Amino acid sequence: MDDQACPRCKTTKYRNPSLKLMVNVCGHALCESCVDLLFLKGSGSCPDCNVPLRRSNFRVQLFEDPMVEKEIDIRKRVLKDYNKKEEDFASLREYNDYLEEIETIVYNLTNNIDIVGTNKRIEQYKKDNKEIIMKNKAKIGREEVELEEILEIEKQMEELRRAEINRLEQEAKKQKIREKEALIDELMFAEGDAKDILNTFAQNKASKQEDVLPALPKVTQFSTGVKFTRVSAQQALPLIEEGPLYKYEPPAVYDRCGPEPPSIEDIVGCGYLKHVRAENETEKAGGYNSTLPCLRALQDALAGLYHAS
Amino acid sequence: MFSTSSQRKFWTFVDETELARLREKHNLNYIAKHGTHIDEYQRYNFFLSPDEERLLLKQYELHLKDFCKRFSPPMPKGVVGTAFHYFKRFYLYNSTMDYHPKEILATCVYLACKVEEFNVSIGQFVANIKGDRDKASDIILNNELLLMQQLNYHLTIHNPFRPVEGFLIDIKTRCSLANPERLRGGIDEFLDKVFLTDACLLYAPSQIALAAVLHAASKEQENLDSYVTDMLFRDAGQDKLAILIEAVRKIRSLVKMVESPAREKVRLIEKKLDRCRNQENNPDSEIYKRRMRELLDEDDLPHTGSGRMSLDTSGVSQVLSPSAS
Repeated sequence: MDDQACPRCKTTKYRNPSLKLMVNVCGHALCESCVDLLFLKGSGSCPDCNVPLRRSNFRVQLFEDPMVEKEIDIRKRVLKDYNKKEEDFASLREYNDYLEEIETIVYNLTNNIDIVGTNKRIEQYKKDNKEIIMKNKAKIGREEVELEEILEIEKQMEELRRAEINRLEQEAKKQKIREKEALIDELMFAEGDAKDILNTFAQNKASKQEDVLPALPKVTQFSTGVKFTRVSAQQALPLIEEGPLYKYEPPAVYDRCGPEPPSIEDIVGCGYLKHVRAENETEKAGGYNSTLPCLRALQDALAGLYHAS
Repeated sequence: MFSTSSQRKFWTFVDETELARLREKHNLNYIAKHGTHIDEYQRYNFFLSPDEERLLLKQYELHLKDFCKRFSPPMPKGVVGTAFHYFKRFYLYNSTMDYHPKEILATCVYLACKVEEFNVSIGQFVANIKGDRDKASDIILNNELLLMQQLNYHLTIHNPFRPVEGFLIDIKTRCSLANPERLRGGIDEFLDKVFLTDACLLYAPSQIALAAVLHAASKEQENLDSYVTDMLFRDAGQDKLAILIEAVRKIRSLVKMVESPAREKVRLIEKKLDRCRNQENNPDSEIYKRRMRELLDEDDLPHTGSGRMSLDTSGVSQVLSPSAS
């Protein structure tokens, strides 16, 4: 730890105990004050390797060897796309090959071996497996949500249990005080032997503790019996009772009180549409069609012609 | 569809005598209700007779037509037709002495605008009215609910305009008539006049439309009789054809008889009306103003009563059970 030093300003941990080394995607470390100085504008290049960096991507170096940090970064990035699971492969051998490939890529990128070629490989993989990547991403997201839910539930349970224990403790304390008072009262005013009285009280206490004890397991049972709301919702699919099937009945045709108007087929076929304004593009987009207004005008013209007072 | 409409069921009547009977009935009702303090002979001079009411309404129908023609923004034909229907229907069961036609006229047009989806705000609407616009909008909005109630909420009107289009399309398709578009002038003129008659209370809109088309054709020295007999009524019996021919003849004769009432006569009637109208429904009268104030004060208290107007319930009961045609 003593030889931890900023490669730029040469400050060591020894001289400045609050020294914090920061690391970015390229894997070269810088101390916090150098980062502040160099990346005043928010972005700049690494003094070691001239890779353009962003200030927001700097984080505290956790491992002594900055190369490890770099590898972690790269691994994170690669695994985002290489997110297949074992069940996505036909055989264990294929899965192992796949893992091997990931390791190769990570190793290459970390040690600057054939970076262009490797990146091309990643791009190609991304293109080929677009769907699986998306699917697995969503799956992972869902799993994360579920995990969070479980954690949340456990937290709640924990709280409940703690509150319960607190309550019990307080109650026990009160009980003890009460018992003590009762014992003292008894000793002060009762006429019997003090030893007898002490004995009966001790017995009472023992029997009471037996009463209290069974209450505890209930609490523990509470914390272990975690239930996933999602799972239970899936199980309890309500059964739908199927009634009689829907049967189509053509609507009753009212008495038009006039000659029968032409049908839509007639309107299209017999040239009625030649005498109506055709719909334009805009109207067509809205679903308008000149057939219906034409039909309506004809229906209106013919309905009621037989009307007799 | 007209054949299943409330228009056919409740608002198409057998003949003109039935209309006259209805009109006379509400006239007599009004006189009986408000004329108790006047003796028999004086009554005749004081109140309007059914004929005088009729004449007055004819004059106001002309006003209605003018108002709609000059309306800005320009009004679609359907609104005018619907307004005419409302106006005629309202005065079948109400007396002009109860509700002044100039107020009902504006309300009818306003309601027709709404029903026919011709969107004008009340502000835009009263901009077309001369005189005090605030008062006009008050009157229109006050009367709107009354009008709807008196129409028994039968607001859908089947106008003859779409059937005319239908006939023109049909003639262009199935008939060899040269350039049917030239009939339009005659048709529009005819339909303009039809609304000044009672035809829309007696016949189906398609019959009126056919009468208009036939009339326009005869004006152009064309004959569409074969279209009617061989195409439209090919499958129908002779009796149905006879009914239609009679209806068309009657509609055309009704239109021919349209004449504007003599100005002098109408002025006298209006003067008479000013004296004998129901002051409770006159927005300028003291009684009306006092009642509105009372209603305004009452608004704070819970009350069960009709809204802004005392409604002539006798009229409503008539509307509810009109004789079916």
